Amino acid sequence: MANQIEILMPLMGEGINEATLVKWLKKPGDKVSKSEPLLEVSTDKVDTEIPAPADGVLAATLAKEGEVVQINTVIGHIIGHITSDGSVPVAASSSAPAKTAAAAASTSSAASKAPAKNPAPQRPNPVVVNRASMASGTTPVVPASDVRSSPLVRKMARDLNINLGFVPGSGLHGRITKADLDAFVANGGHQQQAQAGGAGQVVYVQQPMDALAKSSRVQTSIVDGVEMMEGNPVRREKMTKMRRLIAEHMVESVRVSPHVTTVFEVDLHNVYEIREKHRAAFEKREGFKLTYTPFFIHAAVQAIKQHPIINVSLDGDDILWKQDINVGCAVALGNGLIVPVIKKAQDLNLTGVAHRLNDLVSRARSKKLMPEDVQGGTFSITNPGGFGSLTSNPIINQPQVAILGIGAVVKRPVVIKDAITIRPMMMISLTFDHRVIDGEGGASYLATLKKILEHYHEEPV
Amino acid sequence: MAAAGSFDLVVIGSGPGGYVGAIRAAQLGMKVALIEKAQHLGGTCLNWGCIPTKALLESAKTYDKLKHLEELGFNAGNPTYDWARIMGRKEGIVDSQRKGLRFLMKKNKIEVFEGHGRLAGPGKVSVTGADGKATTIETKKVLLATGSRVRPLPFAKFNGKSIISSDDILSITEVPKTLAVIGGGVVGTEFASLFGRFGTQVTIIEAAPQILPTEDEEAVGELVKHLKKQNITFEVGAKVSAITDNGGKSASVTLEGGKPREFEKVLVSIGREAVTNDIGLELVGVKTDRTFVVVDKHYKTNVDWIYAIGDIIATPALAHTASAEAIHAVEALAGKNPNVINYDANPGAIYCYPEIASIGMTEQACKAKKVEYKVGKFPFAPMAKAKIENATEGFIKIIFEPKYREILGVHIIGAKATELIAEFALGKVLETTVDEIGQTIHPHPTISETVMEAAHAALGHAIHM
Repeated sequence: MANQIEILMPLMGEGINEATLVKWLKKPGDKVSKSEPLLEVSTDKVDTEIPAPADGVLAATLAKEGEVVQINTVIGHIIGHITSDGSVPVAASSSAPAKTAAAAASTSSAASKAPAKNPAPQRPNPVVVNRASMASGTTPVVPASDVRSSPLVRKMARDLNINLGFVPGSGLHGRITKADLDAFVANGGHQQQAQAGGAGQVVYVQQPMDALAKSSRVQTSIVDGVEMMEGNPVRREKMTKMRRLIAEHMVESVRVSPHVTTVFEVDLHNVYEIREKHRAAFEKREGFKLTYTPFFIHAAVQAIKQHPIINVSLDGDDILWKQDINVGCAVALGNGLIVPVIKKAQDLNLTGVAHRLNDLVSRARSKKLMPEDVQGGTFSITNPGGFGSLTSNPIINQPQVAILGIGAVVKRPVVIKDAITIRPMMMISLTFDHRVIDGEGGASYLATLKKILEHYHEEPV
Repeated sequence: MAAAGSFDLVVIGSGPGGYVGAIRAAQLGMKVALIEKAQHLGGTCLNWGCIPTKALLESAKTYDKLKHLEELGFNAGNPTYDWARIMGRKEGIVDSQRKGLRFLMKKNKIEVFEGHGRLAGPGKVSVTGADGKATTIETKKVLLATGSRVRPLPFAKFNGKSIISSDDILSITEVPKTLAVIGGGVVGTEFASLFGRFGTQVTIIEAAPQILPTEDEEAVGELVKHLKKQNITFEVGAKVSAITDNGGKSASVTLEGGKPREFEKVLVSIGREAVTNDIGLELVGVKTDRTFVVVDKHYKTNVDWIYAIGDIIATPALAHTASAEAIHAVEALAGKNPNVINYDANPGAIYCYPEIASIGMTEQACKAKKVEYKVGKFPFAPMAKAKIENATEGFIKIIFEPKYREILGVHIIGAKATELIAEFALGKVLETTVDEIGQTIHPHPTISETVMEAAHAALGHAIHM
């Protein structure tokens, strides 16, 4: 089955609305492979090659060489192949480059894997809800958390990657039944097929990372065999692949998302007491230390349940609401960092979180993580407090929209009921994407998290 | 509101379809008339079906228990029964329910017409009383709920003495020594189990390879084992070629290729037929298919002011089904938007001993339709409460789809089967999967714990096995 993919003129940088198509490097009918240079473009800032968004055959070139094209304009089509696992190769969107550093390093595209792991045999197309398959508009009719459905329907939707917010329900009080979901899938699949021969799936061409390297060049000169920069000797060293990917990812994230940070202070008395009460027994029983981090992850997940906007992604001007809360936890590796993901954290209790975290962190440090361990994150937590940092202003892990920064736990005199008391205090910061979350949203999330932590009562089991 | 002497809705037939529909209509503010040609309200269910038969079956169960009182530590000797008083109790229950129905009609200001109701032209229904006098009433809408009647064998008409119907057998004055039951469906099997336990030598003659052909084979297999201990023998895959009356005292049944065998009574329970003749369908042009009235998913016929529900349409002929259909039809004709009835979530209940209750697909149906399925099964025998209640027979069998563990069908055989199935009916309506049934905390010690255990068994981790 073929799938027609649009080639769009990519966003080349902040404030750049158009680019000149210098040259097509492939002719219609040529086979192209994903990431292979497809065309050259030029802007007033950079000249660069644009790679193909997918494997396939270049079907049509809609823009001529020398033409000045607005960004996000369709400039051609690729007829994509279906890979052996039944999925359509799809490039990550430039507005949401969907990779953690390590996921990108693994070179397997998360986007190409996610849509169709085990397609049910009778359903040719698991429906990936994108703008084209939303029968009723571009945003969910109902937020996913408010949808009435059934256990069966929820299981099916999870499996088929369907946001139930889009599915019209025919049951009691709009409850979505299996028949409704089946009908939705049938219609969606039908639409996708129609699309394949029609408008095509909207895919953004990934911006070439070379542009980044080219735009940050400095002048050096070689004097007596020694490289000099601004009169000082320097030693040149190639970045490791991981370092380079982190660099590119960070620059891209800051470019894509307007970052805003808000900071709250939390009294950790309850958490402290529970941890002190259990730490010895826990370590003896479970074989590893009970750190503070599982408490923070567990609480952060509970708070997300009340503020699902923290757990979304943006796709163009669509908001993608996610059912699972998959928490990426930044782990420092000396020469870099990796963000393994605790999947479906909403289904875990404190001990469950502690186990998953311990497993992921120890495998991260021994370099035994698998690609899927670092994919699929929907929210991230970074804990520079472990190094003594009081508060932080981290960069959002795209295509997520928020990251929680944890500060150091420090005993401080605080005023409680007009008396000075010593309490373990901690700063928490939320850095969020102002495109989709406003100040109130970020602050109210942290307020909820503060409340949960200060009234924390779950004990390790 | 309709003018005096005319109605918003006329319901023909006062069974569990008709009277329920009439009450629902009254609740929705309609002026309602209910027409019944029989002496009492309540239809087959109350007068010749569900209620009197279950009253008698309860007596059979009690008699059975009395015979096993020794096991519970009582010196009860040889219990005896008084058939007339058993029949009297049954009548008492039926009568009390009839009075209740009269009260409900009055309370809901439903005008009851006694007589034979017939469609009599656009917006008109005629009622012919016992005296032969006909009155015509006007109405905006009609709900046909005329139900069904016993079906005779073409070659052996009922004589009310030796060749009898399920209506006749309810006024039998003595327990017969021998009884042939022609047709091992629900009705036949229940009467066999009833009289067998009172000492009658019963022979069930069934044309299909198993009695209760639409029930799950495994559940029926288990039931047959127990029925054999109740003085019942079986002739399955057998065809009756002749039944001859011996002067009202007995009748002889001849099976194809066999000799005549004499029975004191022969119960013909080969099914029921829809009462769709002589109700004026042809006059107003209501479409039928064989004997059934054709309706859409809201029970509207091809004539837009006439609705039909219950045994006269081609859905399961069960009292609770008729009630649900009637409520739906009335809400639809009142302009509401009720949910379409899901017949996969329509339970069935059989009150022999042990009881059988079921919902959804049988295992043989899954095989026939090539539906992928798995089975979780758990017996009552290991459960403490089953032992306490001296009711360890049977099992719960859950048939489910392996991927999402949707419940496809449930088949329960056991002392409390007909009560236990309700949990699965709710489960089906809510599209609950086996997982949630297993996660539901059931009270201990109860028979209902077996439901949870069957779900655990389905997930491969039964606790008490």
